[in-house]
Amino acid sequence: MRGKDVRLDQVSIRFGDSVAVQPLNLTIEAGEFFSILGPSGCGKTTILRTVSGFIEPTIGRVLIGGEDMAGKGPNERPTALIFQNLALFPLMSVAENVAFGLEARGVAKAERLKRAQELLELVALGGYGDKKPADLSGGQRQRVAIARALAVEPSVLLLDEPLSALDLKLRQHMRAELRAIQKRVGITFIYITHDQGEALAMSDRVAVMSRGRLEQVAAPDTLYAEPATPFVATFVGEQNVIRGTLRRISNGAASVDTPLGPIEGCEVGTPGIGAPVLVMVRPERMTLGATRDNSIPVTLKARHLEGPSVNLECVTGGQTLTVTLANGPAMRDLPADLVLGFGREDARVYAEGALAHG
Amino acid sequence: MASLFRAYGRGLGVLLLAIAALWILALIVVPLGAMIEQSLWWKDSRGDITLQIDRLYNEMATLQLDAAGETDAGRKAGFEAQIAQKQAEATALEAQETNPPKTYGLANFTRMSGLHFYIFIRTIIYALMVTGLALVVCYPMAYAVALASGPRKAVVLTVALIVPYAINELLRVYAWLMILDYRGVINGILAWLGMVDLDNRGWIPFLENPSAVFLAMIYTYVLFMVFPMVNTLETLDRNQIEAARDLGASSFRIHRRVIIPHAKPGIAVGCIMTFMLSAGSYSVPAIMTRGQGGDWFSQLVYRQFYESNNWNMGSAYAVSLLVVCTAFILIMMRLFGVGLRDIAK
Repeated sequence: MRGKDVRLDQVSIRFGDSVAVQPLNLTIEAGEFFSILGPSGCGKTTILRTVSGFIEPTIGRVLIGGEDMAGKGPNERPTALIFQNLALFPLMSVAENVAFGLEARGVAKAERLKRAQELLELVALGGYGDKKPADLSGGQRQRVAIARALAVEPSVLLLDEPLSALDLKLRQHMRAELRAIQKRVGITFIYITHDQGEALAMSDRVAVMSRGRLEQVAAPDTLYAEPATPFVATFVGEQNVIRGTLRRISNGAASVDTPLGPIEGCEVGTPGIGAPVLVMVRPERMTLGATRDNSIPVTLKARHLEGPSVNLECVTGGQTLTVTLANGPAMRDLPADLVLGFGREDARVYAEGALAHG
Repeated sequence: MASLFRAYGRGLGVLLLAIAALWILALIVVPLGAMIEQSLWWKDSRGDITLQIDRLYNEMATLQLDAAGETDAGRKAGFEAQIAQKQAEATALEAQETNPPKTYGLANFTRMSGLHFYIFIRTIIYALMVTGLALVVCYPMAYAVALASGPRKAVVLTVALIVPYAINELLRVYAWLMILDYRGVINGILAWLGMVDLDNRGWIPFLENPSAVFLAMIYTYVLFMVFPMVNTLETLDRNQIEAARDLGASSFRIHRRVIIPHAKPGIAVGCIMTFMLSAGSYSVPAIMTRGQGGDWFSQLVYRQFYESNNWNMGSAYAVSLLVVCTAFILIMMRLFGVGLRDIAK
């Protein structure tokens, strides 16, 4: 199996009057594990259905392996889709499910059952061919769906939140499994999810979407460390958001006046001096005790033990700030009055914009 | 039963059981039992019994004449004794004539004439054909209705299916009679187009053909075929259709491998209902053929009851039909691999 690249060229999708996807360009490399991350209704599933051929773009082109897919139905594209509810055929055996794509291509029965058996072994379900999907556990059904999709030897595998129905433990296990399968078969995976943990853990690159727009396309590390917009910053991971007014910029450094006092940060994309801005600091980038760049005196309100780490909920000037610190003996008896410090490079200053959580 | 008492308490539990028992008794046991009992006996009414009685009265009259002319007391008493004996014989025969003795046996079933048996078999075949045709007509319709969504669905359902059923069945059958009659709508249109000549009886005799009955029956029983199928098709996860398409299956294969297997219980129920209704339908063949297109078995049953006045024979005919219908249900259930539980859904 060989992966193919997928290119969306000025693709826009409308349903009647509503625009589901704003015009966007996106290139997904061959053999890449690519995630599209966003809240429900952001247009990510629409993009997936466009690539798989269930929806034709209103304008723009979809190219797979350089070939224009216009006018080609889902059954004519080198893609296979794994549905959110898996959509296994309940009345067929597991082996028949896996062999269905080959059956549709007219492969002889003995040949296709042999192939199905190989694929079931690939997903570690070798002995389950005669069972019905209902007899399997959630994780096993998941793997049957993957085997069924791989049976047609797609160049691009499309996954529509396939892990969302599983419980947390199984979900974490399946992340590793999916990633391993992708490495083994080497085809392009396009993975849709609203769970940032999944996207960060599995992907080579992640696209974050909001309201039908692409917010940022980047590798998971970049996405987390250098979010491009306030939406990405707050959607991926936790943030302390402090509103303020931009006082001065020089050489990428930004000084902001906030109700908590002046904050020194780094500028990400700000309007002019005097404009309203958002300062974002990740909870784990804050420390106890003053630093050279920023120090904010706060009152400790609550302490939430997570196990390996501790979350401290602090208040100052009517605003709540959260700090995540590694757990240790020093975290046991904290005084009520603390000073929070963080470096200039950890305080990212954005122009006022939409946040992920209100 | 224990759980029933636990859920509703003893008093209410007993009441519910009593209602169920009454229901079974009044709707199943008594009517069916009466019908089967009726079919298992006949009255031995010998045709020559009236003749024998007549002969006895003639002989008595002669003996009375003889007795009246006889003067010898001894011989007169002999005549009188003979008359009394004949009178007793005649009374016994008369009792037999007015109330012939019941005989139990299977003769009512075996006595069916060759012609009636032929009509019986033909009716079963016709009913099977109606069922098959109705299935072919209704499946696409049920599919369209089940997969349509939103306000369009409500409109399709009400206008196309429910509204015709608000009209009495007889009226709907008569409507088809008017359409297909010698001087009906279709022949009228053909005449207007100059294709047939009504004045010289050059019409097309649609009603002399069993297909007229088929047409009216399919029209009459469409809903019983469509609704069970719509019910099961509605429960089909549409993602399965899309998944099959995505895996490269043609529409035909999607129907054969995914949709029809899912719809099986609905198809079985629809077929059973349509078969039972058409095999037992009296009004549709009676109205549509007007005696021209060959009788259906239900018409024979009717005649046994109300024209031959032979209720025992009529019951036997009816029971035969019941047996065949029951067999059909069991065969359908086996064929489609559905249990009573699936059908009850």
